[in-house]
Parts: sequence; C-alpha cells; structure tokens
Amino acid sequence: MKKALITGITGQDGSYLAEFLLEKGYQVYGLIRRTSTTNLQRIEHLRDKIKLVEGDLVDQHSLTYSLKEVKPDEVYNLAAQSFVPTSFRQPVLTGEVTGLGVTRMLEAIRIGYPQAKFYQASSSEMFGKAKEVPQNEKTPFYPRSPYGVAKVYGHWITVNYREAYQLFAVSGICFNHESPRRGEEFVTRKIARAVARIKLGKQKKLVLGNLQAKRDWGFAGDYVEAMWLMLQQDKADDYVIGTGETHSVEEFCQQAFKVIGIEKWQDYVETKEGYFRPAEVDMLIADPSKAKKVLGWQPKTTFRKLVELMVKADLEKEK
Amino acid sequence: MKKALITGITGQDGSYLAELLLEKGYQVIGMVSQEHDIGEKNINSFKKRLVLETGDLLDKQSLERIIKKYQPGEVYNLGAVTFVPQSWQKPAFTFDVNALGVIRLLQLVKDLSPKAKFFQATSAKIFGSPDKGPQTEESSVQPATPYAVSKACGHFLTQNFRDHFNLFACSGIMYNHESERRGKEFVTRKITSTAVRIKLGQVKKLVLGDLKAKEDWGYAPDYVEAMWLMLQQDRADDYILATGKQHSVADICQIAFGYLDLDWKKYVVTDKKFVRKEKEQNFFGNPSKAKKVLGWQPKTTFKQMVEKMVNYDWQLTKEEQQ
Repeated sequence: MKKALITGITGQDGSYLAEFLLEKGYQVYGLIRRTSTTNLQRIEHLRDKIKLVEGDLVDQHSLTYSLKEVKPDEVYNLAAQSFVPTSFRQPVLTGEVTGLGVTRMLEAIRIGYPQAKFYQASSSEMFGKAKEVPQNEKTPFYPRSPYGVAKVYGHWITVNYREAYQLFAVSGICFNHESPRRGEEFVTRKIARAVARIKLGKQKKLVLGNLQAKRDWGFAGDYVEAMWLMLQQDKADDYVIGTGETHSVEEFCQQAFKVIGIEKWQDYVETKEGYFRPAEVDMLIADPSKAKKVLGWQPKTTFRKLVELMVKADLEKEK
Repeated sequence: MKKALITGITGQDGSYLAELLLEKGYQVIGMVSQEHDIGEKNINSFKKRLVLETGDLLDKQSLERIIKKYQPGEVYNLGAVTFVPQSWQKPAFTFDVNALGVIRLLQLVKDLSPKAKFFQATSAKIFGSPDKGPQTEESSVQPATPYAVSKACGHFLTQNFRDHFNLFACSGIMYNHESERRGKEFVTRKITSTAVRIKLGQVKKLVLGDLKAKEDWGYAPDYVEAMWLMLQQDRADDYILATGKQHSVADICQIAFGYLDLDWKKYVVTDKKFVRKEKEQNFFGNPSKAKKVLGWQPKTTFKQMVEKMVNYDWQLTKEEQQ
C-alpha cells in the first residue's frame, strides 16, 4: 500500500487531496501542528481513515523524525501561511513557514528518506506584476508581497534540491483555486457566504475592495488531481496549473447573486478603499498547456459551476 | 551630522563604505555580530572613529535597540552569508540571515525611522545563468544556489517594502567586486595571495577550478561609492553595478603572476573539485542606468585592481615572514 504524507492536511487543498488519495487506495498521513485550538473541521469526516503525525514546518527535527517514521512514498507540502494581507503584517513568520519550511522538509527528505517524492505547492502570486500574459513555467517571477516572495523561495529551493541532490521534487504553480472549504477571509468564500446569508435574511450588505481585480479561479477539487499526477511521472518537473480564463470580482458577485435569483447585485454590494490591495498584482492568467500535454490534466469545473457550488454549500451551512 | 548604520561593517564592502562615509563627515555606526563575525582586521586602522554596536540580523531586538538609539538617516544592509558553497551546507541559515534579516531591518525602519533611506546589497547571482548578456535592471531573476535564492528574496522584499509602505529602499544589484580586503576563500584573492607565496618560495602550486570561468569583476571601493550615491537621489530605485566587461580566471593568473615576473602556467594546476556547474558566458552587467542617473562608473581597471591586490598581499606576506 502506498503511503503519502500531507502537510496542511486540515486546509482546503489538504482535505481534498486526502480524500483523493484515500480513493486511490493510499495510506494517508497528515502532519499536524499542535495548537490549543486545533481545527480539524475539514477532515472530520476522514478521521478514522487517516493517521495524524505531530510535527511543524518550523521544527526541523520533527520533520526528519516524521520522514524516518512514516517512510512515505510521496510528500505533499501544502502547509503555509497563505493569506497575502497577513504576510505584510507578519513577513518574518511568513518567510519562516512558507519559505524556510520548504527547505526544512527537503532536508528531512534528503536525510530521512530520500526516495520519497516531493510536491511543493507554489502559487501564481509568484508572478505578481507579471512580465508576460498568460504565464507559463518559463515566465519570470516578480512577487509583490512577502507571501509571494516566500513562495518564490520555496519554488527555487525545490528546483535547487532537485538539481543538486537528484531528489524527485516538483513544484506545482497553482493559480487561485476555490471551493466551499476555502477560508472565509478569501474573497470568493466571503462573497459566497454573504450571498447565502443575504438570501436567508441574516445579512444586508457585502463590503468588498476592488471589484475590477481579476483572477484565474479554478476548483480546488480539480487541482489536487494535478498534484498527484505530477508525482506519477517518470521525470520530476514543474507545472502551471490553472484554467486559462480570468474573471473579475464583479463577475463573481453577479454569478453568485444569480444563484439566489437576484439580478441587481449592485444593490447589495459596497466597496471600501481600505479593502484594496496597496500593490495589486496584474493580469494573472495561467497557460496550463504543459500540464495538459504531459499530465493529460485539465480542469473539469467551469467558473459558473464553481460559483454555484460555493453558494449552495454556504446556503446549506447557514440554514 | 548625518548618521549611517552599516550591517556587515567588518566585511570588505562594509569597511570601504565606512571609510567613505567618515570622509564625508558622517557618524558611522557599525553593527558587529560577535557570534558570526569574521574579525576586525578590515576596520582596525580606523576603528576608533567608528561607533560599534553588537547586533545580529537574526536578532530583531538587537536591531531595534540600535535603530532606536541612533535613529540613522541611512541604513546600509551589507551583512550576509556570502560564500556560495556555505549556502549549500546551511540553506536555512542562509535564508534566515539574507532574506528574513532584510525584513527584520525594513520593518524596524518602517516603524521607528520611516524617513531613513535603506540600501540593500543584492548579488547579480540572482540572474543565475542568463541566456543573454549583459543583464539590466529588468532582466529575469533565476537564481541557481541557495545563496542566490536568498538574495533574490531580499531584493524582492526591498521592492515590496518600497512600493507597499513608501519607504526609500534601494537595491544595488552588484556583480563581483574584489579588493585587498576580499576573503581568501574567493578566487581572486586566492590567486593573488598564493602567487605571492609562490614568489617567496612558501608554496609550489596553485590549485584552481575552471580557468575559463568568467566574471564581471570590479573594484569594491568603486562600488561603495555607488551605494552612497543611490541614497542621495530624490527617488528610490534599483541599479545594476558592474563594469560591463568579462575576464577569466586565467586572466587574473596572467596579471598576478606576470606582475611578479612569473609564468603562471608553470604553477597553476586544476582540480575538478573546484569547478562550478553554472555557465557564465553571458553573465555580465549593463551599468548604463547607474551611469546615466547616478553619474557613476567604475574608475579602476581590472589590471589595476589585480596589481593592487598583489601589492597588498606582497606586503602582508613579507610582514608575516618577519
């Protein structure tokens, strides 16, 4: 039976990936960090099927020990301080976890169990003020936040370790991917939740920042398949994962309100300067053609379907 | 009186910069990390004119104490793990100093002294092995070692803090710059110091890696002037600091041994152990922005630099002999 170790298993991607790997017959281990209020909500339904191992990306020994103990065939590093605004407030912590955490995990693999294959969750935020549109695996990075910088570090150190130590280490440059399990601080979930609450009469207004901000939004459930596919190839390589389409925050609102039968969404939405990003990233659109060609991967869920999925899930939750 | 804080003051660049700023009438505060320091030999001759404070880029409290105490108008961040092979041994430590250290400093500048001007020493190694040369400020960042990766992050973070918090923060993207104060683990100084020892009969051979390896080598005292100029502009910006010319390791040997009337080919042997993987045929900088905006250009030629280094090593070795 194949074994996989997932960091960030309690997060959106981690929980979808755990489900996906269980279905493939893997023994799934999740690395979790002890806190006084551990939040296992997203993996509650999997608790009896997965094994949790205590460890932390800021603690080298805990990682090396976990690798030696679990001896996983595959390691998926999905844990990170992943919220851009927080990275401006806590840039050192972001660098410690999101950046250096990758080096520590690679060191743990190199020392503890070098045959393990490694997946690093990289981000389209690395392209930031993108030097070309759309972005592919060769597009230069120009990160615009400490989060983006830390992810760039994680990406490069993964490539460095692959080239220098011949580890099977890959980096998946994922564009935004959403789902009903997205954190409430992210704009898509914020909209979906607010729309559900407006429908149920629990809320009157939705306050947003820049409505014109555009992103390449996909469904997280589709993206975890690409992560797995990358580790099933003969050759370790990096891939851009995205839909190749962009939609604005405004379009997201429009679609979301449509789900609850409201056409005049503007009546419910306000914008506030304070919610704008000081250094907005430019046109982030994926060119996922390499993933399609080599991995045979493409997104299955359309934008409309994604919005609908999210609003309906929040309607269910808020009832 | 203008006040400047220099991290890495005991290093090659820090010591030259300190001298330049003293000459310009600055009060120079130098941060010395006792734990990670390389010794005070570079600043011994003018140490009395400096204010030295113990602090470390890994220790935010020490940085905070120094910035609070002196409120420097200019901060030059030259402290770093700078030797590439060491960055493979200690990749996490390298990032902690070279990238997180930049954040620690920038956060304190933002909170305690937001008018202060900040210089970040970036290495041109952030460009990796470029497809074409010379590189400009717009070239793609593609680092190939943990050292270069950490410096690339420091560079981006400097830009992020400038754009996001309106700090006067600049990054100088510097190609190799050498001098009499270069550490002996670096190839230029290794050649000049060993050539002198060969001349004096102390050693017989000089073991090097790839003799054809090329770099854009400038003279460090020229480069610290550019650092200072960058902080005297109206607008914070990033600049390439380079000579724009490439020379090979063999070129250094020829000048250094030739200056001592020796034929380098008789003494130099190569060992694959020292050969680097990076290809550097396109690795050289285009300093025209620095020339245009700062009015800066390198004053010292390659030959002059190597000869200065040999001269210095000659005197030093003679003194040691006595």
